Amino acid sequence: MRSATNLTDSSDSAGNGVGIDCRSVTAGYLGSRVLHQISFRITEPSIYVVLGPNGAGKTTLFRTLAGILRPYEGEVYIGGEPIDRQSSRDRLHYLTHMDGLPDGLTVREALEFFARAEGAQPRDVDRVLDQLEIRDLSTKFPSQLSAGQRKRVSIARVFLRERSIYLLDEPTANLDPKVARETRELILKLSREKIVLYSSHNLFEAREIGRYVLVIKSGQIFRFDRIENVRGSRYVLGIRVLQPSPALASYDHEGEYYLRELSGPEEVPAILRELMAQGVQIREAREMENPLEDLFT
Amino acid sequence: MNSSATEAVSRSLLSVTVRRAWVTGRFFMVYGTAISVLLGVLLAHFSGPSFASSYPLFVPIFGVVGSMGGLTVFTSDRTKGVLEYLIAYGYSPGRLFANVLLTTLVLVSFVVGIGVSVSLGVYFAEGHTATSALVIGMGVYAVPMAFGCAAFASTAGVYWTTLSSPRQGINSPIGLIPFIGILPALATIFAITAITLTGPLSTTTLLLTLGTAIGLVAIVVIVLLASMGRLLRRERLLSPA
Repeated sequence: MRSATNLTDSSDSAGNGVGIDCRSVTAGYLGSRVLHQISFRITEPSIYVVLGPNGAGKTTLFRTLAGILRPYEGEVYIGGEPIDRQSSRDRLHYLTHMDGLPDGLTVREALEFFARAEGAQPRDVDRVLDQLEIRDLSTKFPSQLSAGQRKRVSIARVFLRERSIYLLDEPTANLDPKVARETRELILKLSREKIVLYSSHNLFEAREIGRYVLVIKSGQIFRFDRIENVRGSRYVLGIRVLQPSPALASYDHEGEYYLRELSGPEEVPAILRELMAQGVQIREAREMENPLEDLFT
Repeated sequence: MNSSATEAVSRSLLSVTVRRAWVTGRFFMVYGTAISVLLGVLLAHFSGPSFASSYPLFVPIFGVVGSMGGLTVFTSDRTKGVLEYLIAYGYSPGRLFANVLLTTLVLVSFVVGIGVSVSLGVYFAEGHTATSALVIGMGVYAVPMAFGCAAFASTAGVYWTTLSSPRQGINSPIGLIPFIGILPALATIFAITAITLTGPLSTTTLLLTLGTAIGLVAIVVIVLLASMGRLLRRERLLSPA
């Protein structure tokens, strides 16, 4: 197990106006402890994917960082100030794992409600309606929206006002692949200047957008590292072909895929070239196991 | 954590919550107002002077039923993660509860205001005059008790909501709280009825009974409000993880 310490530049403290400093935090619900002595510090703008199996404590971590849950032990500092200060809260955007759309308001009214709660300007509502391409939903009530549309409106609220830290709890859950990709692109743009903590169950998504991964297991930080340093013990290449070939005789077989275990993705081009040289007509080549899956086992 | 450094966000949610309560709880509001007006008009037209001693006893019931929209919004917001969102942006649990309570009281003022004013209008149009029984009934009992019962229902409903898992239908706070909220008003009606069965109801006895009822409701509401800080913990306002 690798515990999290100051992953980023140690000279850049959380007291410089940006950043998250989580110091030996134990937190949970009604006395029941979910997080145990969690410590980490983030100062570098980037996307930090928070991974963990169900019940590991991801949502509890987000709620604690957002100041919703008060730690039983330890302290959370945002931009060098305790999280219970309004000035700290004003540095954060928190997207809950629920849609969080208020009943009784249309999409536009809901965004105006959020804008008011966050101190944003009414013109910001029009901006995000266009930015998230949801203007055509603006007169609809949440009950008239699909799950994906509700999520999109929910995401729109974090773009109402610029903040330095974004806590996004499963932002692409329930989104269709196209909208999920567009949402990830928006978040990627954000991460150039902001700190984004992004929880996900989707391991491929984590590898696609994350620069760092923070793995939680049983309420403790299991690993906090650059995503390129996170390697599983196996890398399995799956190949689908148009016609079976003797060149694949040494490969394992699983469904339509011929499998070969490699030391890493860098070996893939050479393997494919070799097979094609032997006349194998390749229809598809893909990674069959995500190395991050090892983190959950 | 340095809680002494906590600052409160200053933006009020009352007006938007009242609007949402109207949208989500308009059935309750229309129903409460309609039966208030209907009963008031019927009593004013057909029962004559006895309107003064009967209609005020029912007004708190209409107030409770008509103001359920405030609790509807609170229950929905808890389930859907809106309360969690608001807490993250600096709204304290106490402030969120106060928002529900104030919304409820605003709704009561609509329901009771419309019901009482229309009923009194018909009553006076029928040629009746303002008697002391009417003044006592409306001013001392009906209006204060309507606000008291609605505050009781709202506070009890928030407790119920936060202490239980989200439920639908009759087992949800919205399904049961109207019945609990009208209990003080019903108890008062039973008490007055019991007294009149044993003999004539004097003004002193009427005032004593109504005053006791309002006093008891006020004490219960104050105790519930005083316990709010201990019982209304922020964990209870969160949506299921």
